[in-house]
Amino acid sequence: MGILAVLLKKDFIQFSRGRIYAVLSAVGLALFIAVFWIIPDTVTESVAIGIVHHDLDAMVAMIEGEQGLELVPFADEQALEKVISGELVLWRKADGTLTELASKEKPKDMEKVPLVAGIAFPPDFLRLAATGQAPEVQVYINDDTPQEIRSVLPAMIREISFAAAGIPLAITEPDTDSVMLGVDLYGAQISLRERMRPMLAFFVLMMETFALSSLIAMEISQKTVTAVLATPAKVWQVLLAKTIFGAFLAMFQAVVLLVAIQAFTATNWLLLLLVCLLGSLMFSSVAMLVGSWGKDFLENLFLVMIFIIPLLIPAIAVLFPGASPAWIRFIPSSGVMQVLMEVTAYGTGFVEVLPMLGISVLWTLVLITLGLLVLKRKVVRL
Amino acid sequence: MNSPVIDVRSISYAYGKQKAVDGISFSIAKGEVFGFLGPNGAGKSTTIKMLTGQLIPQSGEISILGHLVQGHSKEVHQLMGVCFEEKNLYPQMSGEENLSFFAGLFGIKRPDIMGLLRQVDLHDRAKDRVSNYSKGMRQRLMIARALINNPEVLFLDEPTDGLDPVSAQTIRNLIKRKAADGTAVLLTTHGMLEADQLSDRVAFINEGRLYAVDTPENLKLKHGTRTATVRLRRNGTIVEEVVPLDATSSGEALKLAVGSGEVLTIHTQEASLEDIFIKMTGRTL
Repeated sequence: MGILAVLLKKDFIQFSRGRIYAVLSAVGLALFIAVFWIIPDTVTESVAIGIVHHDLDAMVAMIEGEQGLELVPFADEQALEKVISGELVLWRKADGTLTELASKEKPKDMEKVPLVAGIAFPPDFLRLAATGQAPEVQVYINDDTPQEIRSVLPAMIREISFAAAGIPLAITEPDTDSVMLGVDLYGAQISLRERMRPMLAFFVLMMETFALSSLIAMEISQKTVTAVLATPAKVWQVLLAKTIFGAFLAMFQAVVLLVAIQAFTATNWLLLLLVCLLGSLMFSSVAMLVGSWGKDFLENLFLVMIFIIPLLIPAIAVLFPGASPAWIRFIPSSGVMQVLMEVTAYGTGFVEVLPMLGISVLWTLVLITLGLLVLKRKVVRL
Repeated sequence: MNSPVIDVRSISYAYGKQKAVDGISFSIAKGEVFGFLGPNGAGKSTTIKMLTGQLIPQSGEISILGHLVQGHSKEVHQLMGVCFEEKNLYPQMSGEENLSFFAGLFGIKRPDIMGLLRQVDLHDRAKDRVSNYSKGMRQRLMIARALINNPEVLFLDEPTDGLDPVSAQTIRNLIKRKAADGTAVLLTTHGMLEADQLSDRVAFINEGRLYAVDTPENLKLKHGTRTATVRLRRNGTIVEEVVPLDATSSGEALKLAVGSGEVLTIHTQEASLEDIFIKMTGRTL
């Protein structure tokens, strides 16, 4: 058996004997799989927007025909403003009748209509639009209005205007400093369960960072690595064994999870394995950095948190689709997360994810080089 | 002396501006136990690190059985066994697994793990995890680990430090047996008596420099003083006469002392290695 195999066997024994790591890994994996299957696999995506208009019935009906959009007519602009501002609550009876009430208590046999925004067209909108003048359209939003709805409203007004007068309104889109992670879900919404699939895979890849970093820190603090290096084993063999073991540990569990949540298909399996390998190498390198610097359990835990929390941001951003700040793209784990999302949720192919994959490869190389250098420096200076 | 197994020629090492080892030279022959003595911070550990290839000397050369340590670490490591001062064993693995792991690193196909554990009296605890071993048991396992590749050169850093007398004696006997089998042993210890009993030669190191390299006997003869203390009853009272034995007239002086009353006891004393170390370096161990 070669030195590398001997080192790997030892790492495996140590890992399996560390009851806390083995139990946490098994329980974590089982929990993630259970969470995935418990989460509902249905989509209820309907957005209600209040509207005040006077002679735009045909255009409004056309827009309302779009999937997932409900336009709630208001006769009075003030009432619409009050509902959006929260002064009044809009309730609907079983027969469809709408009532605005000041009380927030749920009346009997009524359901709340959650308006996310409101649009009020002026009475002379058609005339002004047709003559090329600038009608003033009021848009009402509140703090709860999702960012994506805010950015959709101008387009909706423009579409109504164009349909009514045949002339596009001179609406300037607001400047945005944001990027859509994943694809635009309009008309092709996926369930929360589907969205959880890449996130859970990402979590599992990340889960072993603490276990591996603890094993490395223990090897350094107990100076067992010094004893290993007094044998024919070389420093590079010790480092390579740690890299292989860490990557295998994370990747094995990610693959088990992906199988259990039925993420693999005949077309995506190779791409999924590749991105899992990149993710596991990335988190192994983080474990090397933490293991080199951490001296005890608490210090290790603290350092793992410092590294892991920023790396988690892309996973959370994908879970809640919408506009995310552009800087998320610069987080090393962003590429891995995006590829996981694209491949598992939308069935995107290799060519489409190649740029993201390339960025992930670069980040992985940077982190693994850094991790190996720091660990080597620590080991030879013991 | 036989041809040297370990040959150290003018090696130096500094941590930044702090010189840890300053141009020291010595050699160790086959079957020789070489005591390397010095206080904490004298340069012992740095020297051992250079000998075991963990540090590369900034000047000078070390060869083990003709192989330069620098650049031939794989061949050299096959020849050596190291027992570190720290108990750097894998606590979650059993004694047997620890030895099996290190045997694997040396590429030994069928290691006689149980035979080795029997030598250090741990064969009945082979399957127990090291975390359940006592300090003495761990130390004995460290020695067994150092012997796993049947080394020609053995580096033992404080091998009996803090052990109970029985465990310490087991280890001393093992060192003697290995030396008798032809293994060259470099031993660092704070126990001067132990160094005296075990070592064929000793080296005194202080502030990175060697002060003396010789047999304990020669060092005592050259640098120590011997005395005889005669306890006797004279005119009804008990008195003690201390007679120096290194003077030319010491025989006459002893005869006089013995004849001056009723002799109760006679004790001869010679300088300890510690006395000589203090005399030569001005420092205690």
